[in-house]
Amino acid sequence: MAAGRRAPPEPGGGPVLLQGIFGAGPTPGAAACSLALTARELQRLERTFRVSLGPDAEDNLRIAQAWSRRIRELSVPTVPTQDGDSYGVLPRPCRALVLVNPQSGAGRALEDFQAVVQPMLAEADIAATVFITERPHHAQEKVRDEDLSQWDTLVIMSGDGLLHEVVNGLMERPDWADAMQKPLCILPGGSGNALAASINYYAGNDHVAKKKLLTNCTFILCKGLHTQMDLVSLSTASGKRLFSFLGFGWGFISDVDIDSEKYRRLGNARFTLGTLQCLAKLRVYQGRLSYLPAVPEQGTPLAHRDPHAPITNGQAAHVLPPAGTEAPGALPADSLLVPLCQPVPAHWTVVPEEEFVTVYAIYQSHLGTNLLMAPAARLNDGCIHLFYLKAGISRLALLKIFLAMARGTHLDLNCPHLCYVRVQAFRLEPRAAAGIMTVDGEALACEPVQGQIHGRLCRVVSGS
Amino acid sequence: MGGSASMLPREALSEYQELTFLSKQEILLAYKRFSALLPKEERVNVCSARVPKSQILTLPELRANPFQHRICHVFSTSEDGDDSMSFEDFLDMLSVFSDSATSDIKSHYAFRIFDFDDDGTLDRKDLEKLVNCLTGQGEESRLSNMEMEQLIQNILEESDIDKDGTINLSEFQHVISRSPDFASSFKIIL
Repeated sequence: MAAGRRAPPEPGGGPVLLQGIFGAGPTPGAAACSLALTARELQRLERTFRVSLGPDAEDNLRIAQAWSRRIRELSVPTVPTQDGDSYGVLPRPCRALVLVNPQSGAGRALEDFQAVVQPMLAEADIAATVFITERPHHAQEKVRDEDLSQWDTLVIMSGDGLLHEVVNGLMERPDWADAMQKPLCILPGGSGNALAASINYYAGNDHVAKKKLLTNCTFILCKGLHTQMDLVSLSTASGKRLFSFLGFGWGFISDVDIDSEKYRRLGNARFTLGTLQCLAKLRVYQGRLSYLPAVPEQGTPLAHRDPHAPITNGQAAHVLPPAGTEAPGALPADSLLVPLCQPVPAHWTVVPEEEFVTVYAIYQSHLGTNLLMAPAARLNDGCIHLFYLKAGISRLALLKIFLAMARGTHLDLNCPHLCYVRVQAFRLEPRAAAGIMTVDGEALACEPVQGQIHGRLCRVVSGS
Repeated sequence: MGGSASMLPREALSEYQELTFLSKQEILLAYKRFSALLPKEERVNVCSARVPKSQILTLPELRANPFQHRICHVFSTSEDGDDSMSFEDFLDMLSVFSDSATSDIKSHYAFRIFDFDDDGTLDRKDLEKLVNCLTGQGEESRLSNMEMEQLIQNILEESDIDKDGTINLSEFQHVISRSPDFASSFKIIL
């Protein structure tokens, strides 16, 4: 900490890190600069430094403000130099539109926002305007028609479902390419939130839950660093096209995930008696799964596969054109996919088994707050992590896998029924309309679906 | 069935329709299936006969059910403690497991079924037994102690609202009411 005239140190005060969020304000009398520093353990510490260099109050104020400015500058996160152009920092002062679903978190989302988030944002010079959603698709409509130039960031305080609406609302705009440059931020609204848990994980934080996760994510927002995130474009047989940021699922995982209360998520429920119930009547679903393997990186094993899995040509398909090079206004083309009515391209892999307990394509690390499904996943790793559980797995093995998933060690169990492969695109054709399908945790009609990755299509506030 | 099977008296039929969630056809079918479990000579007076548990468990609908023993125990009114079932016990069971039974009724009975020590709450021992029923009875088909501990911890964290280390009926019903299709998995249709 730089030298200067200081007020007597507070009792028990110790060294503080100079990374933090803070505000400055003069107090009556001698100009003072008051800092609230957030130490590593995210406790709010307050230190007041009084400037009384000379008798002139205005002079003192100017010095205090200069200190304040300089300290603030020093606290701005260093933008990483590799991939330098893909990182950014939110401006200060920052104007944030905060979309809140008041029913999120068993109705406590708004309360938590006011109690936990708002004070931190105020100190970080982020002006928050709250928009309360009143029904499904409300958020989607809002961002679709909104004048985005008045906001520096769109903050979603709710579950993954609301972010899903926002992403799809933005993609509905004619100026989507610009709109998708607007950094999005997720704050867990009390219910389990897989993206928030993933971002917390990418930031190198310990696994935490609920309030602590909210504090961590708010801190990440206050730092203001943002980077690019992959999205997956999904197309269904009935002609729907959706953009997804978290995952697509079918079967057991989705069965447990969905119920009449739309806002409950697997991440929140973890293993309840309801999950055991699904386990009791373990169902098997028939369908065909095909995929285009991802381009292997140097030395990285492409898949955690069982020895009986098919060997493919291994050649990657044509390279994805960078987003934005299509005709203006046209949505990013799914250049890796052929229409659903045609067979998959020859260089794709078709899974020989046609009976599954579950298929889950995930593009973040966490399936739920407590389920680290794809430890290797990153925000912009350019691939989809495809998992499938073949029929024949015992209830015991399934239970063991999900228990191990809490620590991300399920792949070490080497269960022959669990398959994991990194892909750029996939297609799932259920034999019948059986089993629930989910996108980002929201229910979807069960029908043939295919999807492909679109690298770095949007921006999110993240810790690293 | 032959002529040796007796018929369910009409008053009994309407009474059972009143007292259970079962339809007329369902009751008649239950009567038929229950009679078939009795030795020939007892089929004359079906309504006062008791079928031993071992016979009940031969029913295909129960044979593969992980909780078959508990189900018999809960619905049996046998004073000998042998878990044998009378026709009315049998109807009670089918009624609770029928399509028309309310979620409240189902969760009430589910709770009793999972309450292995019949003490009115689901404690760790009950939950352990519950999980072991699901995973299988053999030594190799059990979770390790650590895994069991983790699972029970998760369940209690989610369901034990008053944090007393056990799940009581209302906590259970609260959790189950949010469960995907609890009702549809808690079904036995003959």
